[in-house]
Amino acid sequence: MVQPVLYPPTQLSPAAALALSQQAPSILRSSPSTVSSSPFSALFAGSEKPELWLQYENLILSCLRTGDEQAARQCLQRLVARFGEDNERVQALRGLVKEAEAKNNSDLEGVLKEYDQILSDNDTNIPIVKRRIALLRSMGRISDATSALVQLLEFSPTDAEAWSELSDTYLSQGLYPQAIYAMEEVLVLAPNAWNIHARLGELQYMAATAPGVTQGGYQKYMAEAIKRFSRSIELCDDYLRGYYGLKLVSKKLLSDGAKATKLPEDSEFSFPDTNTIERLNELATAKLAEIVRHSTAHDRGWRGYNEAEIAAAQELLSEDESASSAIKR
Amino acid sequence: MTFLSKAITAFGGLLLAHACYSAREHTALQSLRAATAASLTSTPTVATSLPVDIILETIISTFVILLGLVLGTRPLRPIEWRVWAGKIEREGEEGFTDNSGAVDKDFMGNPFSAFESRPNFVDIRKQRREFAEWVQKGGSEATRYYAGSTR
Repeated sequence: MVQPVLYPPTQLSPAAALALSQQAPSILRSSPSTVSSSPFSALFAGSEKPELWLQYENLILSCLRTGDEQAARQCLQRLVARFGEDNERVQALRGLVKEAEAKNNSDLEGVLKEYDQILSDNDTNIPIVKRRIALLRSMGRISDATSALVQLLEFSPTDAEAWSELSDTYLSQGLYPQAIYAMEEVLVLAPNAWNIHARLGELQYMAATAPGVTQGGYQKYMAEAIKRFSRSIELCDDYLRGYYGLKLVSKKLLSDGAKATKLPEDSEFSFPDTNTIERLNELATAKLAEIVRHSTAHDRGWRGYNEAEIAAAQELLSEDESASSAIKR
Repeated sequence: MTFLSKAITAFGGLLLAHACYSAREHTALQSLRAATAASLTSTPTVATSLPVDIILETIISTFVILLGLVLGTRPLRPIEWRVWAGKIEREGEEGFTDNSGAVDKDFMGNPFSAFESRPNFVDIRKQRREFAEWVQKGGSEATRYYAGSTR
């Protein structure tokens, strides 16, 4: 039985989300339908745990995803009964349920109008601001979503999640420098986040390999990408994503040959020499091979990796092998 | 592991109780002997301390209990950032269980993953579409579950 998770289920696979939403009836049955907020009843009844409410929120997300609106509405009712209609998070969740149930575009416009209505009363209602941005993006009005995001970041500049969303929005439009800038801002707020370092490395690599990039820009992005991936590995042992990126970037640089690593005179960034890149490439290959070997054998202590990621690493390694055997021949 | 630690702790407790009982019996016997000796002869008797075997038993039983308790503690968490992060990535939930195998309540995977999944900006309509596609592709197994859940 899957545990009812306390972290947001947006990153779960469809199968896991389904399993979670199937637990909804039993969770709803096993927990009390109303929890009074008066201090007297809290004295006699069992203590009220914050995990319960978190669980309801996450259940709403996964139930909506799997199309079980009835259970989602039940969870929402309990949240409303406890926190009231005017709670900001509850408002955002109610909007979410409405978005999910919307049949056509005019329904969505209605939800958007409701958001605007709430924001006209209190324009610092951050959960609603975020829902409005997500809805705008979902409706394809990306420029509106971007400007709303910039506005949100103007009065709440320490919101790492919003910076990350901004980066993703820019990326979807192909604006690599802006996406990289926004992702760097996330790193300023969470400098130890190894996945964000790897993500930034991926963005740099995408920017470097995008069509129409200049030679100088290509070198700058590649040098940054190597640094980011190396940092993510430094922060996290055996990080598959970091080693994969490092391997990808170093392989590309080595295949470019010596001309790519030669720098213009006025460059303000340092580029690792070929020797270092070769050693990084060897290290990444060895580590990836080790991870793939242990993970495919289901060794104890190596089962946390995503299967799709392991398959991708395997493919990268086999590509490498076939290339080297072709050279030998 | 958990059985072994419990057995050792119980054994240590038994030893300790035995040592306490012996000490009590010993003092009772001593005082009785002193009383009878005093009534027979008027010379004061020297007060004897506990015999060595009782003292040894007490000390050893304390250490046995300690050993049992230490064996029963949950594995220590890594204190280095990169080791801890690597453990999350490499072992997943498995690395964060207590002795009985249940996943720790505060385990949440990579704590920074929310910066990438961005739950507050979730595009629920897209997720629903993707889920519906997955169900269509997933074959009879998934559809059966799906029908069961919406019933």
